[in-house]
Amino acid sequence: MFNYRTLAVIKRELREKLMSKSFIIMTILLPVFMFGIIGIQTLLISYEGDNGSQIEIVTQSDEMINSVKEYISAEEFVKSGSYKITYNVTNDIEEYVNSKKPLLVEEKLDGVIFIPNSALKDKKVRYFAKTPNNRSIPDKISTPINKFLIDQYFGTRNLSRDELDFARLGVDFAGFKVSEKEEFEEQGYGNLILAYVFMFLLYISLLMMGSMTMQSVQEEKNSKIVEVILSSVNSKELLAGKILGSSITGALQMMVWLLPVLTIISTTWFVLPPEFTFDITYGHLIYFLINFFFGLVIFLGLFATVGSVFETAQEAQSGMWPVMMLIMIPFFIALSMMRNPNNQIAEIASFLPFSTLMVMPGKFVLTDVPVWQLFASMAVNVLTILIIFPLAGKIFRVGILRSGKKPSLADIIKWLKYKY
Amino acid sequence: MNALEVKNLSKKFGSLKAVDDASFYVPEGSIFGLIGRNGAGKTTTIRMMMNIIIPDSGEIILRGAKVGQEFRNKVGYLPEERGLYKRMKVIDTILYFAELKGKTGREIHKKANAYLKRFELFDRRNSKIEDLSKGNQQKIQFISTILHDPEFIILDEPFSGMDPINTNLLKEVILEEKQKGKVIIFSTHLMEFAEKMCDHIAMIDHGKIILNGSLVDIKKKYAQKNITLNYEGNISFLSSNPMVEKISDFGNSTGIRVKEEHFSQDILRLLLQNNVIVKKFDSNDISLQEIFVELAGKEDVEIKKEVSNV
Repeated sequence: MFNYRTLAVIKRELREKLMSKSFIIMTILLPVFMFGIIGIQTLLISYEGDNGSQIEIVTQSDEMINSVKEYISAEEFVKSGSYKITYNVTNDIEEYVNSKKPLLVEEKLDGVIFIPNSALKDKKVRYFAKTPNNRSIPDKISTPINKFLIDQYFGTRNLSRDELDFARLGVDFAGFKVSEKEEFEEQGYGNLILAYVFMFLLYISLLMMGSMTMQSVQEEKNSKIVEVILSSVNSKELLAGKILGSSITGALQMMVWLLPVLTIISTTWFVLPPEFTFDITYGHLIYFLINFFFGLVIFLGLFATVGSVFETAQEAQSGMWPVMMLIMIPFFIALSMMRNPNNQIAEIASFLPFSTLMVMPGKFVLTDVPVWQLFASMAVNVLTILIIFPLAGKIFRVGILRSGKKPSLADIIKWLKYKY
Repeated sequence: MNALEVKNLSKKFGSLKAVDDASFYVPEGSIFGLIGRNGAGKTTTIRMMMNIIIPDSGEIILRGAKVGQEFRNKVGYLPEERGLYKRMKVIDTILYFAELKGKTGREIHKKANAYLKRFELFDRRNSKIEDLSKGNQQKIQFISTILHDPEFIILDEPFSGMDPINTNLLKEVILEEKQKGKVIIFSTHLMEFAEKMCDHIAMIDHGKIILNGSLVDIKKKYAQKNITLNYEGNISFLSSNPMVEKISDFGNSTGIRVKEEHFSQDILRLLLQNNVIVKKFDSNDISLQEIFVELAGKEDVEIKKEVSNV
């Protein structure tokens, strides 16, 4: 199956893909795009649109309002003027809010926060607004109010400031990774981020290379060039050449994307802040690449087969979704490992055909995976290739030469029985 | 000696018998025509000869041995439905096809340039295929078919969709290759072309070979009771003549079928007596079209384009 003809097909694929503008652009832009998406997400979440909010804080006594004012005025968002806050005292809050109703409804006033005397005991505060579901205002104001209430509550109990500060602290878990190594290493977010990057790259690249391969098979099918090619090359050689050509392209692209990671672990040019340092070895990177290459071969084989069956991109959609599911579901399982790398679904998925490709790389970045498991995963991949390729080859051989009506699943199963 | 022998070839697609126990032979150094209407099984037969699809049964013998990959390397194939990589350069396209046949290096590059010059495409060698006119794309396709100097040239409906200039160019190339001793096999539904170009033919209908042999022998066999006539005047009196079996009007010429071979001289005499101006009278001629109609029934030979090409 591997001979000069396959090689000629591989060479043509490489020349066509590596030299294409879209490949070069994607190689450069994907990392930019990826960080861009993360950046935009962060920006959108942090942008609350609460600038210029008009808030009234109301209590039942002058003494309390002055005290609250002190706490709130100390906050950054008040000092900077992004919140305009007025303070008031009332005995009947219902009537007070009624009087403010027109302002609240027209949103000239964004909210009225009522701190009753009883809040000193039960911390229950009321918030009146047109859209009380908008959490950004109460979330911000609650911090100084909480501080005030705690100080009020414990201030009468003869506690020192240190004691009060202690009460306010949350619990801080420092994560230590226990491994075969001598010392326990304190682990930051680095590996978590790296696992995310790995999975994202795998996911995007498989889908991208997959649809590219599918299109190129469809081009050959529809332009009828495939018949000339099949007069020199048999369909297995053609399929193997195309898939290997595209897989090498994909692997080269991945190497480019991994260069920053390699630079960080091999040189001291960049020093990451301690909470972002990650702990992986060259072995991990090599395993990741080999695993990725297997993934490409498997999925590009499936995408090429789908491309050979259908004439138009629209028709191909129906054949594509099962393949996409095989990439997407494992991707979501892999994401679930971010929360708990040892969850059982991920544990099982890391050995199942197809899903092991997505899940295992995340798993070995996040946890210590015994070497036998890595080899087991490889073995599963090799087996997958051995099982799906004879079938894919048969469908490809019939599909690529046929035209006319869109074939049904039953037709495709029939093709498997054809003597081709 | 036969260059190629096809023995008992059969192929079914589901319930459709595309090729049904077909046997024929292609002699060394000949131009061979596989003829039949569209959908008769020509393309399937050729694809099986090319090993693109595997027959259900039967075999193809190339100079005494079963065909395999080595046959593919010796073949130049121009399929009916032609295509090229749109975004590939002209010269890269030609060299790629040669490379698939195992031919690389400076020699083949030189030869490619020579062909491009001959077909007046040398200055377009670095253009992309999509920037070429359809006629020029067809030229690129021929060059790719013959550049690796194949011993067999297989052309499936070579003249379909081809402009007149390219039709002549292709004929020229075919005859040239024949001079070099190459075996040329082509399939067509155009009987006139086959008649003009082929030495040997096989006629296929509904997947069955209904005729195989040299064109001369076939014609001799079928022509004995046939007269081809070109005339001016009225020949309607012939239709009631007891010597005549059938009169068919083919437009340019009229075919008369007589009941006994020796009647043809009587017919000529009769025509002259009736003041018909005889321009051509060939008592030993029959067109392939007539033979085909006689063998395959009266269905229109020129049938619409095949719908599906499985």
